[in-house]
Amino acid sequence: MKCKICEREAVNEYCELHEKAHQKVIQKYETWKKGIDISWKEYLNEIAENPYTGSWAKDVARHLSRKEEK
Amino acid sequence: MEKYALVITEKPDAARRIAKALDSQGKPERVEENGVPYFLADRDRKLVVVPALGHLYTVDHDRGGRNYYPVFNFKWAPRYKAERGAKETRAWVETFSKLAKDAEDFIAACDYDIEGSLIGYCLLKYACKDKEDVAKRMKFSTLTKGELEKTYEAPLSHLDFALIEAGKTRHEVDWLYGVNLSRALTLSAKRWSGRYATLSTGRVQGPTLRFLVKRERAIRCFVPKPYWSIDAEIEIKGAAYEVEYERKKIWRKAEADKVVDDCKGRTGKIESIDVKKYRQKPPYPFDLGKLQTEAYSLFGYTPRRTAGIAQRLYLEALISYPRTSSQKLPPAINYRAILKALSKRPTYKKLASKLLKKEELKPREGKKEDPAHPAVYPTGNLPERALSDQEKKIWDLVVRRFMAVFGEAAIKQSMKATLLVNSHNFYLRGRHILKEGWMQFYKPYIRTEEVLLPPLKEGEAMKLKHLIQEDKFTNPPPRYNPSSLLKKMDENGIGTKATRADIIQTLYDRKYVRDKRIEVTALGFDIVEVLRKHCPRVISVKFTRELEEKMEQVQAGREKRENVLVEAVDRLKPMLEELKEKEKTLGEALSKAVKKARMEERIVGKCPTCGTGKLIILYSRKTGKRFIGCTNYFNGLCTTSFPLPQKGTVRSLRSECKGCGWPLVEVRTKGRRPWRLCFNSDCPRKEERRKRREVQNLRKGSSK
Repeated sequence: MKCKICEREAVNEYCELHEKAHQKVIQKYETWKKGIDISWKEYLNEIAENPYTGSWAKDVARHLSRKEEK
Repeated sequence: MEKYALVITEKPDAARRIAKALDSQGKPERVEENGVPYFLADRDRKLVVVPALGHLYTVDHDRGGRNYYPVFNFKWAPRYKAERGAKETRAWVETFSKLAKDAEDFIAACDYDIEGSLIGYCLLKYACKDKEDVAKRMKFSTLTKGELEKTYEAPLSHLDFALIEAGKTRHEVDWLYGVNLSRALTLSAKRWSGRYATLSTGRVQGPTLRFLVKRERAIRCFVPKPYWSIDAEIEIKGAAYEVEYERKKIWRKAEADKVVDDCKGRTGKIESIDVKKYRQKPPYPFDLGKLQTEAYSLFGYTPRRTAGIAQRLYLEALISYPRTSSQKLPPAINYRAILKALSKRPTYKKLASKLLKKEELKPREGKKEDPAHPAVYPTGNLPERALSDQEKKIWDLVVRRFMAVFGEAAIKQSMKATLLVNSHNFYLRGRHILKEGWMQFYKPYIRTEEVLLPPLKEGEAMKLKHLIQEDKFTNPPPRYNPSSLLKKMDENGIGTKATRADIIQTLYDRKYVRDKRIEVTALGFDIVEVLRKHCPRVISVKFTRELEEKMEQVQAGREKRENVLVEAVDRLKPMLEELKEKEKTLGEALSKAVKKARMEERIVGKCPTCGTGKLIILYSRKTGKRFIGCTNYFNGLCTTSFPLPQKGTVRSLRSECKGCGWPLVEVRTKGRRPWRLCFNSDCPRKEERRKRREVQNLRKGSSK
């Protein structure tokens, strides 16, 4: 199975590299929620636009955001 | 021809300087044969001083071609036979062989380190026909007349065979690893795709790339955390001073809001004033690594560039041998004589005189030692020619550092006043240098900023003038730069001071990394991923360090070269077997990575016309000329195209034009400065430049 984001082989939904970024995106939501009362969807949009977010984490945020919209 | 002593040196510049120092008149005769210069000097006897061109011999496979692996049979061979681009070295080897025939005495006068000793040994053994056992060795750390004469009069009675053995081991082990592993990668990719691409890894290259990949992964997976900081200002006697809130980072917005509500427009009281005096000792003398780090942070020079400049200064006898890991300056170098000589230069006169007035000169030294050389120091010689800007900077840095290590400790004072505002603490900080000490000698290179505070009293009331709450985010870990990567390699004990900078350059040459703030390319990433999956020991830091330690033992005479080689081959064999077994999978992964990297290299940026396609460097089928086109052209959606200069190389800068936001490319042509090109003909910056030129031309015209 291919990664939902890139061409690499997937472990579950994502490849090993995007999976690592996926875990980070999920982990950090708690900190964001405590800092500012923010919904999951808003959080994904925020980090997808943030200049400090790494490119793989941005890929995951955008992918999850699109999934949310569907 | 009358008999003479053959003096073997490492490079033409060194030969000229050594011949000049040893000739009784200081005017040796320069002779050139087949393009090889050498020098005839007269002293107590006739001397023929011949330069090498760095290494003239190298490790090569004993038999067979280049298209197979594993290969464990090797021999030492002239470089002109082993390497395609080293034809010019043939004349040099032949000159040595010819001059050796009439020589009655042999003296190796190459740099006193592993590489220098090996260069001399190979020439004596192979070009001069087994003269390595009868040759003497000149040992020196500077190319000054005094030191060269001294070492010529009392040379070592034989070559330093421990250094030579260590050098041979290092070259042979590196060859075994480099050739076999690189061939394994290159050939598996070629066999799978039918296309050739040079892929390489090595004993040190692999783990170094791994450091970078590890950092790159952390950066690419990074998710920032939001935090808030409170910036405030107070006014004291009409002047504004910044104060910092007791917590630098506040993780909840509500808490930050509360601080602002509690303190805005309020007056506080100085609760306490802490004054601390502390001594800052002088820095250590430069070893190569520290010189490279300092030159990078002060002037932005890469470690390789600094090493090159320092080498030139050494060959000009302006500084001592730079490839040293020592942080010690022995009294034998004669501190006073050096300072006296430096004081002849007006820039250093005042500073050197200050030090010369001291009764005792004692340098501050670090722990690191080098058996062959002291730390880097100026010889006291003044430049005989106009130095380039870069050379001037490095020489000045070495001179000032040398003077600084003899200085007294600087005395600094820090002050922290705590201002209590409605139960919140704010800190007002000041820094002040009470006594410059060593800093006066190192002044242009000191990076401390003084913050002087007015006299303050406990209980004094002060009003917060501005109070701003700032939204901030945590930053990803910083990217390595060539200097910090060099430091990381040093800390982890991989590579040597002489090879680290070149290994970093190889990573750039192979296109595994790019930019000054090092970013790993897709190819670099995939190389490490493939090796990590299929052959993790190749990129293991621990494994490399262990081998490095073994080689150091050879240098110390505690281990035999043969044992290290046997162990290296024993470790390498199973790796290569594994790679061979997985050649197909490996080939597929690497070929895809190469293809992706080649494609990535051609992408310039987003198409500004259609917004969905990517601009890419293409070649016209009709004319063969290169241009920029949109990828959506192939779908019939966008026909955007731009011409490109046809000479030189073009690469994407992956940054946008400040005038119009279009992607930028860099054009490099030989002998010219790189040129940043915005290919938007309507870019407002181009219009501005055109107008400026017109105005300048008008001015020129009217002045005539």
